Amino acid sequence: MIERMTSMERMIAVLTGQKPDRIPVNPFILGFAAKICEIPIGDLYANAKKSFRAQLLCAEMYGYDSTPMYAYASFGAWEFGGEIGFPYEPGQSAPYIIKHPVETPEDVDKLEVPDPKKAGSIPIAMELAKLCYENKMPVVFQVGEVLTTAANIAEPARLLSWMIRKPDVVHKLNKKVAEFFIEVAKYFTSTFGADKCMAFTGGPIESNKLISAKQFEKFVYPYMKQIHSKVLELGVNIILEHPCSDQNANLPYYVKLREELNWKGKYVWAFGPETPLEKQIECFGKYDVIMGNVDPPSFQFKSFEEVLLLCKDNIERGIKNPSGYILGVGCELPPLSPPINVYALIKAAREYGSFK
Amino acid sequence: MGKEEILKKLAEATVLGDVEMAVSYAKRAIEAGIDAYEAIMNGCAEGMRIVSEKYEKGEMYVPEILCSAEAMYAAMEILRPYLKAESIGERKKIVLGVVRGDIHDIGKNLVKLMLEAAGFQVIDLGKDVPNEKFIEMAIKENADIVGLSALMTTSMVVMPEVIKEIKKRNPKIKTIVGGGPLSPELAKLYGADGYGKDASEAVKVAKSLVGG
Ligand code: B1M
Repeated sequence: MIERMTSMERMIAVLTGQKPDRIPVNPFILGFAAKICEIPIGDLYANAKKSFRAQLLCAEMYGYDSTPMYAYASFGAWEFGGEIGFPYEPGQSAPYIIKHPVETPEDVDKLEVPDPKKAGSIPIAMELAKLCYENKMPVVFQVGEVLTTAANIAEPARLLSWMIRKPDVVHKLNKKVAEFFIEVAKYFTSTFGADKCMAFTGGPIESNKLISAKQFEKFVYPYMKQIHSKVLELGVNIILEHPCSDQNANLPYYVKLREELNWKGKYVWAFGPETPLEKQIECFGKYDVIMGNVDPPSFQFKSFEEVLLLCKDNIERGIKNPSGYILGVGCELPPLSPPINVYALIKAAREYGSFK
Repeated sequence: MGKEEILKKLAEATVLGDVEMAVSYAKRAIEAGIDAYEAIMNGCAEGMRIVSEKYEKGEMYVPEILCSAEAMYAAMEILRPYLKAESIGERKKIVLGVVRGDIHDIGKNLVKLMLEAAGFQVIDLGKDVPNEKFIEMAIKENADIVGLSALMTTSMVVMPEVIKEIKKRNPKIKTIVGGGPLSPELAKLYGADGYGKDASEAVKVAKSLVGG
């Protein structure tokens, strides 16, 4: 196919309910971009300029449509006073926590909501955001998920057992985390203007591999709603939500969130491969965009032909969403994937996802 | 209260994650003259077996399991001083950890818990463990088994190296791998002696390898 739109035009078309020339592709590439550009993965998280350049070049080389962003799953520990390490050693693929800032309930009492201008990785995220802004790309900032961030602050096992033994302490911590994310949202929107921003949120600790839907309702939902309401109120129109891993049991609460927010703004849902696209379309199809969820490990281990078939299948199912579909991967694309397999995404979008 | 009922209550306390109840029935077990080893195996470990089954069925989640673990360890603390040398025999030793570059340790901790409940002595190396550390500790501790956990396709690739080196240094040491992206086929390809899909399977495989 001959491409008639730029990546930006294509993304805007989908987000505003128009038909693009072909479905856009957002492959959730982070560490892989560093590999392709032959820089250490650590630089992707520790150095805004190198990160921006690697993400941009990788997107240009393949022709996919997402723009650089800064986010990682272990977020929160450093920002609230702990310590993280950047992935510079062989085998490491993302930032990791060295010291959790909270060890006791008393630490939660003492914990101060950090100033977003100085907190942990935010200055790096801000520097990368400025590069996006200068290059007329959307600015993406991270606003969750709350429980994952709280777990990164207090150590996951400790936080999870407090959910039963000391629920008040968890609520106290979640409140501070929510307050922090709202401050982050204010910082980014006041720097660039809300219309230039997109919020990104998502987290693995919310997964039903770890917590039940009832626990999600109690410990995640109220804070998620508080943050999302505020982000929308600040004027941000697009929220990219990534319920990581298996969150099928939490689905009713994500629907409830949209209902209670009167379907305000435009959400892009990026569920894990465990949640069938048909189910997502049934839940959100009337208003929101669905991002594809091709199985991430397949990119590392399957042949090009097999990956192409998986992408084709995802497109054929996702394209039925009345409010738009973006071809995507169900979580971060494994950095060790053979480069040719990433091309399968673009090839599939061009061959099976073009609109006349 | 009879022996069977005390053991049942001990298992129940473990499932409920009720520390006080677990301690109280561990004490009762001793007072009633129940062999400490039997109380651990048919009380605490039986409770953890039920917990593990409930997790697999989606009837219990990780927060509840962590409370069960607390109850089990509290009861074991009471019971351990009463263990007779002949009833435990020689405890099999397993060196366990999450491989380099990977900090996903919740699953590994559940495996540790189940192994301890089943009577293994676990030397926990934690997470993001360098290859050399596994090898060094396996030899130094004269381990019966080395257990490697990985949750990411990016991190599991170091496993064959570690397994090969351990086998080279001491071919008698058995190796078990597990974690989301692993499979029996991959375990075989990596040269491991066993694969555990979940924590209870890890225990079964460990027992079958060293007769623990
Ligand atoms: C020795 O013998 C044995 C035998 C059996 C063994 C065994 C050993 N080890 C485990 N088992 C087995 O028994 C256990 C009990 O039944 C089971 O253990 P499990 O661990 O499977 O089960 C636990 C009880 C519950 N499950 C879990 O605890 C894992 C859940 C998921 C959602 C997950 C979580 C929670 C986290 N994460 Co992340 N996370 C995911 C996970 C999704 C998934 N599908 O697994 C996964 C593993 N993460 C992923 C990613 C990409 C990442 N994560 C990251 C971070 C995190 C958190 C820190 C936020 C958190 C971990 C907290 C912690 N301390 O453990 C990052 C990496 C950090 C690092 N440096 O390691 C980051 C790279 C994201 C980023 N870019 O920042 C994905 C890996 C994809 C891949 N390439 O393979 C992922 C599969 C999510 C997804 N849907 O794609 C069995 O596997």
